[in-house]
This record gives sequence, structure tokens and C-alpha cells, in this order.
Amino acid sequence: MKIGGIHIQHKRRIAMAGILFALPSILGLMLFVMLPMLASLLLSFTDYRIVNTPKFIGLANYIRLFDGTDPYFYNSLWVTLKYVILRVPLGLVFSFMAAFLLNMQFIRGKSVFRTIFYLPSIVPAVASSMIWLWLFSPDLGLFNSFLEALNLPTLNWLYSEQTVVPSIVLMSLWGMGSTIIIFLAGLQGVPRSLYEAATVDGAGALRKFQHITIPMMTPIIFFNLIMGSIGAFQVFTEALIMTQGGPNNASLFYNYYIYRQAFQFGEMGQASAIAWILFIIILLVTVIFFRTSKSWVFYESEV
Amino acid sequence: MKKSRRIQQIIVYLFLIGGAAFCLLPLFWLVRSSMMNSLQIFEMPPKWIPSPFRLQNYVEALTTIDFFQFFRNTLFITVSCLFGALFSSSIGAYSYARLEWPGRRLFFGLLLASMMLPSAVTLIPTFIGWRFADLINTYFPLILPVWLGSAFDIFLLRQFYSTIPKDMDEAAYVDGAGPWTIFTRIIIPLSKPPLIVIGLFSFMNSWNDFMGPLVYLNEERKFTLALGLQMFQSLHSAQWHLLMAASTVVILPVIVVFFIGQRYFIEGITLTGMKG
Amino acid sequence: MNKAKRVAGVVLSSVLTISLLLSGCSDSGGPEAQGGKNGQKEPVTLKFSFWGDTIEKKTVTEALERFEQETGIQVEPMHVPADYLTKMTTMVAGNVAPDLGYLSSGAALSWGRDGKLLNLTPFMENDPDFKKEDYLDQIWYEIEPGNIIGMSTAVEGYGLMYNKDLLLEAGVELPPTDANKAWDWDTFVEYAKKLTLDDQGRNALDPNFNPDKIRQFGLQYDPYNMMAAVVSNGGNFLTEDGKGFGLAQPEAIEAIQKLADLMYVHHVSPTPLQTKNMPDTALQTKKVAMTVSGNWALQAFAEQDFNLGVGVLPKLKESNTLLDGAPTVIFKSTKHPEEAWLLYKYMTDPESVLPLIEGGLWMPLKKEWYTNPELINKWAAGNKAHPEGYTEAFMKQTIENGFRTPGFEVKNLDKINALVTPALDLVWTGKQKAEEALKGVEPKVLPLIEGYYGR
Repeated sequence: MKIGGIHIQHKRRIAMAGILFALPSILGLMLFVMLPMLASLLLSFTDYRIVNTPKFIGLANYIRLFDGTDPYFYNSLWVTLKYVILRVPLGLVFSFMAAFLLNMQFIRGKSVFRTIFYLPSIVPAVASSMIWLWLFSPDLGLFNSFLEALNLPTLNWLYSEQTVVPSIVLMSLWGMGSTIIIFLAGLQGVPRSLYEAATVDGAGALRKFQHITIPMMTPIIFFNLIMGSIGAFQVFTEALIMTQGGPNNASLFYNYYIYRQAFQFGEMGQASAIAWILFIIILLVTVIFFRTSKSWVFYESEV
Repeated sequence: MKKSRRIQQIIVYLFLIGGAAFCLLPLFWLVRSSMMNSLQIFEMPPKWIPSPFRLQNYVEALTTIDFFQFFRNTLFITVSCLFGALFSSSIGAYSYARLEWPGRRLFFGLLLASMMLPSAVTLIPTFIGWRFADLINTYFPLILPVWLGSAFDIFLLRQFYSTIPKDMDEAAYVDGAGPWTIFTRIIIPLSKPPLIVIGLFSFMNSWNDFMGPLVYLNEERKFTLALGLQMFQSLHSAQWHLLMAASTVVILPVIVVFFIGQRYFIEGITLTGMKG
Repeated sequence: MNKAKRVAGVVLSSVLTISLLLSGCSDSGGPEAQGGKNGQKEPVTLKFSFWGDTIEKKTVTEALERFEQETGIQVEPMHVPADYLTKMTTMVAGNVAPDLGYLSSGAALSWGRDGKLLNLTPFMENDPDFKKEDYLDQIWYEIEPGNIIGMSTAVEGYGLMYNKDLLLEAGVELPPTDANKAWDWDTFVEYAKKLTLDDQGRNALDPNFNPDKIRQFGLQYDPYNMMAAVVSNGGNFLTEDGKGFGLAQPEAIEAIQKLADLMYVHHVSPTPLQTKNMPDTALQTKKVAMTVSGNWALQAFAEQDFNLGVGVLPKLKESNTLLDGAPTVIFKSTKHPEEAWLLYKYMTDPESVLPLIEGGLWMPLKKEWYTNPELINKWAAGNKAHPEGYTEAFMKQTIENGFRTPGFEVKNLDKINALVTPALDLVWTGKQKAEEALKGVEPKVLPLIEGYYGR
């Protein structure tokens, strides 16, 4: 039947266009993702220290981690998990709120505010770390001076095992300009007509927020949740520049632990194994998020 | 205006201004340090106004390293990557969001998975790959991957595209339009905000990228600004005053580009195409 | 309109891609392409990799250029601005290592052991112009007898540096420069106390002294330099036979505890919390009166504006000091070992890198620069970076009583340190006593101990 024929032809046309359009990314995936990932997976089963030819040793690298021969593995996992659990929800809430406030109609000078909020993520790490070292300074830093003024006990911030991770979370929240910008772009996309219609229906601000803003923003919230989690699991720079994993390994974030293993100890095979475990963890978390997303993420295109 | 409204507005402003002040802190510290000598930079408690203003830091910083060469190089790389990012992410995201083809889910999954493996362990296999192609010490390793799609950009755009109702596509198909037409006539015009976002991020990433140029470039005349900045520091010492001045100059273009670019988040533009 | 834009975009991108290809091709050709033919008279090119700030970069590059002019061997300087080891590791893994260059001691010893570095012993022995005895005894990196993979790029000794004005103001006698007159530890602590002032100007000997509000510390003994105290007390990182954990021995424990006590008992030294906020301007800004530092600090201090004095370290049992210096190595993959050796020798000659030695960043590698008055005057005397007393306190002390840092010969040092540093963190933050922390980590360290290289 003609209609059926066109239908199939149409589908084929779509499929071909689809593959064509996706071709650069598929190519990129094959060359720059799959190959190196495969290589690192293979390396994780070898004893490879850069200066030798890789020697197959089966699961030895992995076993070393799980049975405790490597004293840092479980510690590092735990430290990273602490960070993720604090950082991801806080990050989402803060950046969403900031974007929401920034998007309000009565705000003047939006351009200036947006730029300013984005600044922390582009200022070079050397300047930011200096600022934060000062802020966190137990004697002369702003934070402790603040606490003293309020007659509260001062903290050791980066220099105490209990407070180093929360301190780094605080630091990272300040650099979430890109998340704010993405939320902003998303907020721009919520059609005004919906809000106007709701006002006509007599809905108040809270109602509008709950029933229009949030649902329409769920794809973007979902994006930032995924990206935030993937990013949080791979936290690295602060450990490298400011704490070197200390004090006493209390900030030995997993990614830094990998880097150290790979480039300071030269143990590429071992580092690959450590990295692949993180990969599996992130993969599982992401899959869970995706599965549960069906119940709360609202894609308009699927209406 | 009602008083409670007024108060609400003031509170919002307070929050925003407070947040902004906090975010301005490092920039302020950077700029004020760029005009001091090394000693004053680290005085505790910090002096926020330099006295005297040492503008010669800037002259010295820009002449100590081959600043303009690095600037040219960085500009070239950044612009090349910018076009690449916009190009590959827009068509890629469209494909993943809108067109059905066998294997689409698989590849999208792989795309996401590519962000989950820490780069420390793919650094060397990737390097060896480029070595195999004899492209070390060129700009290829820094530019080509962007032209073949960045996972972050594609994922972001795909989410945005998913908010555009499909019935517009359906209508177009009925009218005899093909995927390309839909892409250029419907999707692209509606995705200005996220495209600008991607453009800005791409610019910022390339401009500040340090690891890529460090690993792949061997000749100083090919270095980028990010590498140039590192030259003011070494294991035991750093010329802080010059580093601060150079850093200020380096982030200036990013701030300008960002400021100009984000003005295009025009309020009221909707992704559904149904204005007002 | 939009279609036109897209077409333009496609054209632009193709143009870019093509120009990239062209630039890529022309760049990757170059010296490699030229050096491909054998037996032809094209100049040999060596790649020399190094790190350093702009001053070091300038001096090294100039030295390499002079070498080029004198020998006709081309040299391509490869300055790596940061993350040196990452770049090196990547290059070695990708088989594009330079011919020779700096390398951190841990990597040098480890890669040497795995055969990636050239054994310099045959070169040293067969070269009539080279005499090993001309050089200091402590600077050699020997992975096993007969296999020397390098010598330090430069010598770094440790000693006491202080702000003369602060000491004179407090009426404290100036630290001795003669090793025989070195302060013993208690004297040293006493003087440090005199130099530690709280915000009311009371020093640490005063019964009303407030340790919570210190505005000037008597001494900055960065725990990073703790080995100086350990060897002064007769201890070392490993035991002499290379089998035991030296830091858990009584001598080391005593020394380390004394260092911790400086912070928490006597309050004369800033805790790590406080040190992190004091970069090398602490002496000038009068935050500390004295500091224990490596020789390199002189370069920075010379730029600053205060009355610098130097002295020998206080002694615990013996008056000695540490000697440090990461090596320069030649990679086995080099295609021109003979020429690389020539360049290697050239860079070890203090004359070639005089500005850095004069400027205080480096100390010379050759013995005669420590003994011949004419040569001594070229660097160690009469300039801003080397105040009076330097020749005795640093120069003499280093060559005569300088102990090599563990980095020169301890096998598996990086991994051991990864365990030891967190344990010491507890000591430096005052949470544990040295004995508890070190004895506690000893069982984990013992399996990692593999002895010394070169023995």
C-alpha cells in the first residue's frame, strides 16, 4: 500500500539522516573514547610501569585493592563518597536558586550579575587557591574572623581531618557558575504563555513554581544532576593544589589517588584498575538515575 | 507597589549582591595583586588597595614570556574548537534527540560513558595513538576531537532539543520536509540559548586548557597562554607579581566574550516557537 | 538566510580543517625529517628537557646556545612549565623521550633500574677530560655498583637563614657559621624563644606569653626539612643495613619529637596550619626571625629587601646538614649518546651556569669551586645572594658534612613516603607523639623497604 511504502521509506530516510548526523560523534567515540578506554582496560590486567612492556597478570591489580593490600583504596572511596553526597544536592539547590533569583523579571543589571557569578570558574586556579587559603586561614582568615565575631568556636577548615571535605565542598560550590548558566538557559525556555495562563487562572507564585517551573525544568535538572554527579566523583584539582590528599589522607580523593598512582609512582597498570572501578561505580549510579528518571523527568517532546 | 512585594524584592537583591560580592573576591584579589610587588601580595591581613600601583608588572610580565605568540596560538586553537563544538554538537544532539536509527541508544550510552573514566588513565593510550599518527607537537590532538563531538555538549543540547514539541516536526514531515530542513529551519533557530552556552563553555575550555597543550606541544613557539602562565612558577619559587599581572590579562578576553555572549539570553524567547 | 549561514559554516570548517592539516604536516616535519638520512652531513640535534622559573629558563637556554656555538651540535631546549613528571612519563611511554634532561630522583632511580637510562660509568671512565673526583662525592645516583645514571643537576645544601635586624633588636647572638661552634639544641630553643613575640611584644620566655596570638615566630622549621634534624641526631630514613625503618629508631624519633615540640611545647615555630599561609616572604615581613631552608631560597631573598644572615644549623648530636639535588639523566633511547655526553658534561661545569650559582639558586658541582679562592669569589662571596658567613656556614658545611637526602638512594621511596607522610601529619598537627605515630606506621612500612640503590 502506498501509505505503508511511504512510511517505510520515511523511516529509512530518517534513520540514514540520523546516522549521518551522528557520524562525527560516532567517529569521535570510536577513535578517542573506545580505543583508549579499551587500552586502559587491558592495561588494568597487566603490570605496566611505563618503562617496561606490559606483562599480563590477570586480576592481581584488582585483588590488591579489595583485599586491603593497598592501604588507600577503601579510604579513598569513602572520602570521595562523602564529597559526592554533600556536593551534588547542595550544588543543585544552590545553583538552581541562584539562577531562579537571577531570572526574576524585576532584576536590573542581569548581564552584570550573570558575568559575576560565572567569574569564579574562569579565574585561574592559582588565584582562587590563594583566596581560599586566606579565607580558610585559622588565624587570619575571613571565615574564622567571622565565627569569632559571632562568638562561635573557630574551625581548622582545610587542616583538620573532619572539616577538610566540607571545606572543599564549600569551595567547589563557589565555582558552579556553569551550572547556574545552564539553569538560566533552561529557565529562559519555559514559555511565558504558561505563566500568563496560570496567572489568569489565579495561581500564586508558589503554585507557578511548583507546577510550571519545576516540571518544565526537569530535563535540565536531570542534566545537571548527571553531570554534577559524574563531576563530583572525579573531583581532583583541590586535592592536587591545596591539600595533596591530606591531612592524613582525609582528602585523598579517588581521582587524585589515580593520578598519584599513575604519575608519581609510575604504576600505570594498577592505576588503570583503580580507574575502572570508579568507572563502574559512576556507570551504575548513572544507570540508576536514568532508570528512575522516567518517573520524574518530563520531556515535552514525548507528550 | 505593595510593601511586601517591595521587601521581597529587596531581599532577593541582597542575596544576589551578597553572592556577587563573594564571587568577585578572587578577581579582586587577582587584580589588586597584579599591581603590587611580591611582598605586599602576601601580607596578612591583606591590603586591598595597592599602594603604590605598580603597572610595570604588566609590562614586565608581557615581555618576560612570549605573550603575543601565545595569544595568537591560543586564539587559533580556541576559534577552531569553537566552530567544531557548535557544528558537531548541534548535529549530533539532533540525531540523538530526534532521529531514530539502529544503535542510537547504544551510542548515546557510550557517549555518556566516555565522561566517566578518569582521564589520567586514558592520557597515555591516547598519546600513543597520536604518536602513531605522527601528530605530536601539532595542534591536531587539541582540535580534532572537538570536531568529532564532545559528550558534554551533545548531552546538553539533546536535553534542550527534547523540550521542543515533536508535533512541529510531524507537521513539517507532512509538508514534505526532510530532517535537514527541520534541523535548519526549526531546531537551530530555537536553540540560541543553549548554543550560546556551548559556545561560551567551549571558548573558556580551550582558552584555559592546560593539560592538552602541555602534553602534546614540545616547541615553545607553539605554546598557549595557559602554559605561558605556568612559566612564572616553579617548584621552589614563583614570581607572584608577574603571575598575577599575566593572569589578569589572560582572563580578560574570557570575561569580555562571556559578557557579550550572554546578552543573547533574550528574555521571552521560547524553545517551543510559540511566542507570547 | 539560515541555510546560507550553514553553508558558510561548512565551507569555513572545511577551510579550517585543510589549513590545520597543512599546518600540522609542516610542523611535524622539521628536525625529525631532516635527521632521517644516515651518513649525511646534517647537524646532530639534541633535545634537552628541563623545568624552572623564567630566570632558570633564561640561564639554561643561554648555556645551551653557547654549547651550540662552541661545538656545532644543535640543541633544542624543551622547557616544561609544569607537571614535569606527567609530561616525561607520557613522552617515555610514547617513545618520544628527549635525549637528556632533568628528572626527579624517584623516577630517575626507578627508570634507571628498568633500563631506560644510559649508564654513564663507561662514558666517565673512557673520557680523558672527565674525572669523577673533580666532583662532590655525594651527588651520584648509582643504581648498582658500576651503573651511575646521573649526578645532581646542582647541589643544594641546607642551613639557617635569618633576619639580622630582628636578632639584633632582641639582643640575640648571631647564629654561628663555624660548624664547631654550632648551637646545641637547647641553646637554639632558648634563642628562638627570645625571638618569638606575641601581639603584646612579650617573648616566649615571658610567663605572660600568649601562644594564641603570636605575631612573630622565632623559627620556621618546615617539617619538610625534618631529615636535617634526623641526621644531626645520628638517625636516618632507613637503618644502615637498609633493612629497617630508620625513622622508627630512637634517634629519629627523638629528633622528630623535638621538631614537633618547637611548635606545640615551645611555641617558637608555626604549625603547618600557619606555615601554609607564609610563602617565602616570611623573613622580610618579620613573620619569622629565622628559617631552615635549602640554598635555593637565597635567590628569592636576594630580591627582597632585608638584612639577610646565614648560619649553620643547630645541632642535636652532630653538626651536619643535608645535601639535595635531583639528577640530570641521559635516556637510553637517544640516538646520539656521544654528543649527549658532551652536553651533559658541559652543563655540569659551574662556569656554564654561573648566573644561577651566583644568583643563589644552585651550588656548584665541582670541588674546586669550594676550595679555590678565585673560584669561590665568583659565586659565594661579595654579592647580594651570599651574605657574609656563607662560605663557612653553607659552602663548607655542605661539602664537608653534607648528608645525602633519602631521595638519592632509598628504594621505593615514593611508596614509603605515601605511608609516612600521613603518619607524620598527625605529629605535625600535634595529634600524636612521634613515637606513637612512627612506631604505628612501621609495620606497614617494613614490607615496602627494599634497601639502598648502589649498594
